[in-house]
Amino acid sequence: MSLNAIYQEYHDQFQFIKIYIREAHPVDGWWFGKGFVKYPMRIFSPKVSLNIYDPTTIEERRAAAGSCAESLKYGVKTYVDEMDDKVNKDYAGWPTRLYLIDKKGIVVYAGGLGPFGFKPGELKQAIRKFLQEENKS
Amino acid sequence: MSTIKKRQDARTWQMKYDGTAPRLGDTAPDFELRDVNGEDPIRLSSFQGDKPVVLIFGSFT
Repeated sequence: MSLNAIYQEYHDQFQFIKIYIREAHPVDGWWFGKGFVKYPMRIFSPKVSLNIYDPTTIEERRAAAGSCAESLKYGVKTYVDEMDDKVNKDYAGWPTRLYLIDKKGIVVYAGGLGPFGFKPGELKQAIRKFLQEENKS
Repeated sequence: MSTIKKRQDARTWQMKYDGTAPRLGDTAPDFELRDVNGEDPIRLSSFQGDKPVVLIFGSFT
């Protein structure tokens, strides 16, 4: 289950917001581009960059976010967290995470911590459940 | 938040902020962010009463 497929199916009914946050595995951080780990990364995550340094200014961050959006092509418009990482911290979004928020601003699905808790299939189930309950009322 | 250098730092960061992150039934923290060009600001609360919202957090690496 890909996010792109979920977006294509539900974007008329839901507002999708991609939030670009601090890099997970930049060259100058916990880098996955060295040693053995780079091989499975290339096979299983071919669209993930192994050549990005962690942006140090909002301009660099926006540029990296633009490259990310261009490469991954979720179809979802990307918005960029500020350099204080406030939204990332508020949602514990790093390195990846999913949420579904209802029309009252209440969280109806809070995905697990990434990367292992990042489960688009769970998000789709939550969307279906939300729509079923909305149709009942 | 500074650049995370190793697995243990990542775990420490996640545990710290996950403790205050919204859970099922909580009000989602509001925010306003701009797009990759620094334009077109979007505010989460502007969708209240209109559309439910899917948030996707991630980076390029």
